[in-house]
Amino acid sequence: MAATLSLTGPPDLDLSSASDLSVSSRSSNRSLRVAEKERKKKKAEDPFVLALKYFSDVEAGTPVNGNDEVERNMVLVEKLAYSKGLSPEAISIMLEFAMSLRMGTSLCARVLKCLIPATLVPQEAVVRAVVWLSVGKIPVSTQILFIKWVLTVFDMIDAKDQLRAVYGFIFNFVTEENLCPFICHLLYLLTRKESVRVFRVRKLLELQSRLGRQPFLLSLLSLYKVFCPEMVMLSIPSRIKSGFRNHNMPWKSALIAVQKGAGPHVAAGISPASTTIKTNPRKRKRCHLELPVMTSVVSKEAQTEPSSCGKVVPLVQLHSFAQLLENMHRIELPAQMGSLLGSSLALQYLDCVQDESALLRLNFWLGYALHEEFLFCGDRGASQNSQEALPFLDRLLSTQHFLQEGFSCSEAFLYKFLNVWDGSLLRPQILGLLSNIPVVPSAQIRQLLFEPLMQLFFTSSLFFKCGLMECLNNMLLKWLTWHSVYALEDDLDISLNSHTSINMTLSGFKDSVMELVDFVGRLASLGLQLEGCHSLLLSFVLDFYETVCDMFMKYGLPLVVMPPPGVFYPALFATDPVSVDRLAYIMHRYKVNFTSAKSQEELTKQAFHISRQMVREFNHYIIVMVNCLWNSKMFQLDMGLSLGEDLLLKSKVPQYWASFDLVHHPAFMSYAVDFHHRQNENKMVPASKRYTSNQCATS
Amino acid sequence: MTSRLPPRGNVTTSYAHSEKKRDGSTVPATSPSVRARVRGAERSSMAPLRPLSRLPGLNSANVLLVESEEQFQQRLADRLVEETTFTVNVRLAKSLPLPVENEESRPRIDLVVFIINLTSELSLQSAEASVKCLDHRYFLGKVSFMVTNARNVAAPGERLDAVRKLAASLHCALLFAEDQTPDGVTNATERLLTILKVAAGLVPMTTALYLSNLTRGTALRDIDQPSFD
Repeated sequence: MAATLSLTGPPDLDLSSASDLSVSSRSSNRSLRVAEKERKKKKAEDPFVLALKYFSDVEAGTPVNGNDEVERNMVLVEKLAYSKGLSPEAISIMLEFAMSLRMGTSLCARVLKCLIPATLVPQEAVVRAVVWLSVGKIPVSTQILFIKWVLTVFDMIDAKDQLRAVYGFIFNFVTEENLCPFICHLLYLLTRKESVRVFRVRKLLELQSRLGRQPFLLSLLSLYKVFCPEMVMLSIPSRIKSGFRNHNMPWKSALIAVQKGAGPHVAAGISPASTTIKTNPRKRKRCHLELPVMTSVVSKEAQTEPSSCGKVVPLVQLHSFAQLLENMHRIELPAQMGSLLGSSLALQYLDCVQDESALLRLNFWLGYALHEEFLFCGDRGASQNSQEALPFLDRLLSTQHFLQEGFSCSEAFLYKFLNVWDGSLLRPQILGLLSNIPVVPSAQIRQLLFEPLMQLFFTSSLFFKCGLMECLNNMLLKWLTWHSVYALEDDLDISLNSHTSINMTLSGFKDSVMELVDFVGRLASLGLQLEGCHSLLLSFVLDFYETVCDMFMKYGLPLVVMPPPGVFYPALFATDPVSVDRLAYIMHRYKVNFTSAKSQEELTKQAFHISRQMVREFNHYIIVMVNCLWNSKMFQLDMGLSLGEDLLLKSKVPQYWASFDLVHHPAFMSYAVDFHHRQNENKMVPASKRYTSNQCATS
Repeated sequence: MTSRLPPRGNVTTSYAHSEKKRDGSTVPATSPSVRARVRGAERSSMAPLRPLSRLPGLNSANVLLVESEEQFQQRLADRLVEETTFTVNVRLAKSLPLPVENEESRPRIDLVVFIINLTSELSLQSAEASVKCLDHRYFLGKVSFMVTNARNVAAPGERLDAVRKLAASLHCALLFAEDQTPDGVTNATERLLTILKVAAGLVPMTTALYLSNLTRGTALRDIDQPSFD
């Protein structure tokens, strides 16, 4: 394989072709060759091409120290690499040069550090380099550097089938302790179902007994387990601490610089029927946050041959839903799982088939991208950050909206992000992602979610408070919807994250919902007090309680929770009529829920367990409300605040017991004024048609 | 039901009413003349800052920003004095204790904010040392910590844990700020003003102690991987 691949450019062709041609045909090709030579001469004068030629032709054993020519050519190559990136041929030549150690080990590391690809990395070069790796003369630190480089440019390798073919070869390196973490990471990216063999599992387990339960070994074993659960008998925790670490430090900034220089790439939204954008591979330069374009695993040349084994159809070739349905049983997922996020067809397929390995890989990539960008970002300019970050998060949000649920990696990311969030960075997106998290068990919800949110809530502005209220309202809605669907499915968990789902009983779910409603009640009461019962915040709070009051009727959850006094009284005594009206509506819905729950309890004889406390509270609220608004008997019942009569008389408010009824309530002032206007208009009407006014005390 | 603060009457420019003053950070001189100027018999030259030693100003609040690197505090101060509903006086310092010379002219400080840059160890150490020079009555809600660069990869996790522990043990609010963008600075200003209004007594029915109970966190943060097994 190594000998027949022609890697080098025109200069080599010139030397070899001349000797291959026979004497008779030489004359006929003379004119052609002359023209070729002219062109090549021009090209060969390019210093970079000369440098490449030098590196491809240099003899083994040439000394490095004091060799000015090598130094000069290295500098040329490095300059080009850092400015525009190296072309695929240049990468092949330089990689071959470095890994074959033709000029000793000192240059190898230097070359590896400057191998910044401009577009693609040819996989043959990588495979050859892996071959060189096994020859055994490269120092360990350089070997590690090489593997790190492969991991960094993994997405840019044009096809992966040859790499997969040498899977066993790569696997053998796992026994070297220094290389083990990186090799495990590489294997994680390359593994398919066929690669999981019993002897490999055994070897990994043996390593584990030697090295301990390392996260990289556990991650690889969990992937093996997902593919072939019968082969891996180990119990693996569903979430593994830290997984694989990020290895791209020496190249990261240079890669970003090269990709930025190449021009931004427009990302399309989720298209309804077609798959992702088909771009010319030459122009495909992606920012590191952008979703990769979907490609097939097998390289383009092999696609033209009819694949006799399995007739697998790569996902990228499907363009409509009908095609998806036809080929459902033989679809092959792309190598880069992140590209699935852009295409609705792919997402529908993923949702339907529930391929655990695909989900694992997708979660892995997504978690990695989120961590890289938002949690461990470097000192880059923040504006650059938000330009890429916003479309990425928007795309993630629309994906979650499409699938009607969130990813587990985004949940883990959010918990960590909330602890370092300032409350305003990417606020709409973060709150949107937050509302999509699945039900959190009540034992952990306080530490994970409530604490950071409380700290943010009480120190932020009114708009943040409103935004958070809305987010928690959406979260509750989604939990209730999930529950109502889940309950109907009779123990069939249909969520996307089924392999890591929590086994939640009804009582566990009710606990979590209770915790959430209590928490929002506390936030609402205290927030209203701090903001002086601002009507915008009140409206968002009442939105939440409109959801809560109908939990039984609309979503079938046997739970009724009353709003706290800190929400009820500000709404009752609000100065705008809308709040009072909404409160009345909420009270009405509570009554409907209570009565239907009671009747159901009588019918089915099932212990519903509506808390007596809740019923008492409801009755109390209703009595207060009616006394206030209708009976003009305010202050005669204990409202949680007892005002003595002498104090009320001191206030010199005339008829204080009627001060908040329908006629005198400050919220309905506008209606009273309107009424008087109409009365005045009616006075203009002739006597025969005069209205007889109602009994309304006008004061 | 809503209470509104009276708007500032005849307002000129923000600098006319609000002021920025820099308190030097030199070690206070222990010369006898300085000591003689100081009121009170047993006042030492390293007198801790006291919250109730002066009367409050009308419709105004004073905040002290302490930052050993002196970078972020300048931008914050510029935004803080732009507040119009009440007068904000900002004082800047590199570290505590503040020099005794200015003690006469210094108004009552309502809120002390320690700004810590997580990428530098010195910043944290300086804040820890300065905290010791505050009177204990400040820790009833009149101190808060503001942390920048929390999402930076160069900031080790242990440092953030140490800051969290410090804030939790002192019952102080811990705020995170993005100091690289103007939006981040505006947001940090808003959050500081929310706490400052309460600390200066400008929010009815709310005291600084009350708010500090709501905003204080715990030091335990084992959220690296929530295990749902």
